[in-house]
Amino acid sequence: MKVVTGVVGNDIHVVANRLIELSLDARGFEVFNLGVNTYLEEFFDAAVETQADVLLISSLNGEAEGWAREVKLLKSKYNTLDDIIMVIGGNLVVGTASADEIVPRYKKYGFDLVFHQVDLNTGLDTLEMYIKQRDVK
Amino acid sequence: MSLLQEEREIILNNEFIDPFDFAEVEEFVKNANEELFISHHFAKKEKMLVQPRGGFPTYEKQFALNEFFVEANVDVLPLTIDSNTRLNDYTTARKMLQLSEESEHDMLNGYPLVTHGYKATRQMITHFKKPVSLRHGTPDARLLIEVAIASGIFEIEGGPITYLLPYSKNFPLDKAFLYWKYVEKVCANYSKLNLPINRESFGPLTATLVPPSITIVIQLLEMLLSLEEGVKSFSVSFSQTGSMNQDIVMGSVMRKMAKFYAQEIDCADATINLVYHQWMGAFPTDKKFAQQLINMSTVIASMVGADKIITKTKEEASGIPTKEANAETVANTQYTLRILNGLPNITDKEEEEILTMEVKAIMEAVFNDSADTLWRKVFNSIKNGIIDVPFSPHIINHNEMITMRDANKNIRIIKRGNVPIPDRCFEYEKSQCDLGKSNTSIVNDIIHDIGIMQ
Repeated sequence: MKVVTGVVGNDIHVVANRLIELSLDARGFEVFNLGVNTYLEEFFDAAVETQADVLLISSLNGEAEGWAREVKLLKSKYNTLDDIIMVIGGNLVVGTASADEIVPRYKKYGFDLVFHQVDLNTGLDTLEMYIKQRDVK
Repeated sequence: MSLLQEEREIILNNEFIDPFDFAEVEEFVKNANEELFISHHFAKKEKMLVQPRGGFPTYEKQFALNEFFVEANVDVLPLTIDSNTRLNDYTTARKMLQLSEESEHDMLNGYPLVTHGYKATRQMITHFKKPVSLRHGTPDARLLIEVAIASGIFEIEGGPITYLLPYSKNFPLDKAFLYWKYVEKVCANYSKLNLPINRESFGPLTATLVPPSITIVIQLLEMLLSLEEGVKSFSVSFSQTGSMNQDIVMGSVMRKMAKFYAQEIDCADATINLVYHQWMGAFPTDKKFAQQLINMSTVIASMVGADKIITKTKEEASGIPTKEANAETVANTQYTLRILNGLPNITDKEEEEILTMEVKAIMEAVFNDSADTLWRKVFNSIKNGIIDVPFSPHIINHNEMITMRDANKNIRIIKRGNVPIPDRCFEYEKSQCDLGKSNTSIVNDIIHDIGIMQ
């Protein structure tokens, strides 16, 4: 399983990004980490280039929503990304809001899995489960 | 005219600053009061110097902060620069300063020194008659340090590696080396006129599980790059690791190695100081706990025998501290230092030996690079992973090294990547850790190890 990951926008929070890379690696994923300060185009380009199965975007400083709004439009310009699993996690809003509010909103933006202030391992367990269920289908 | 002087005239001729009067500035430095030079206070060796952190956008607020610090018996005043100035965006800095002056709301996270200019800032600095340390994070600090020295700031923090690898994703490292060469040369030249201007490296780096060997090697290399340009006073530094023993060992080895390598390049006449940063990782949100942590850091700094300590505040977890909280830490730290007497002498020979071997092996690998100058050797060594900084966001950094804490919270290397850690040392480091678990639980341990003080 190939995963492209990175932190979206002008966000330089590197610690979690590196931990995500280590955790994915420990779970047997092949990881392509674009690091901090990554733009949406770079994510999609890398997903095409690596033929990734999963695109895992993370965000901490609250910028995610501004970028997430453009995901569907941008993704539709690429013709090989229809099956990619879209994941976003971290602290997904500026200020505070409940997950009940945020998750549906981000699903509408085009994400299959949304983790707002969810523990890293819980998130990755959910991702693995999601992959398994999808493969059964 | 020398090439350096030509470059200086280009750097100092721009629309963001007042006309720069080279002769007047030289005259000012030549006659500056010795109290403004931290090198003078280091030479007195009376006590560990206490320096807080802090910078506000407006002149008035910065002045008020300094008044609070002086009231709290500060030894060294900080001047922390805002992030626009750090990135050479003087237009935005000017706009945000204007907005900050028009309202009570601060629109900058530090003092925009270039925008205020040296004439105004010099008035403030000569008024307080305390040494000032420039804290920034700028890859291209050429204009900033010119304005700083002209203002009477005679300590400049930073360096091409320590101000780049923790802070930037893709600013070109080779350019940073050249820009910092300019800084060293200007500091060296001014040092001939009066007491030496002190340069200080930023040892905390990413403040996230950086192993002592990497910290020391980078401190030594920035020291050498500075001394070879003629700087005569230099501070190596590091931040609290989480293990008191490791701090003491690191301080001791760093001091010895700094002296050794300075001698190797015939710069034994330079003064080398040791600076200790109170805990630089994630802080507890509970202010009482934060205060305890700060106090413990001061005790460890004393055990390390640091020449200067840089303080945190109880408000660290919640953002930029108020001047009251900041001054409180200074007063508390001075109190702790005053009552902390009769410290025991602790050395750990085995740990010192292992760490010294690691440092020497990495340094040798850097020197053995085929490039013709030191900065190019260092550049190549970072590029090929001989130097690898855990949790650096920069694209040039290898990110192959993995570290975690042992049972005593010492930072240990469990994967060395391309860093030439000798086999014997590597086996020792790994033997201290419990590596029999699954990879996933090791990652959980690392997450835990980062947040130990929270």
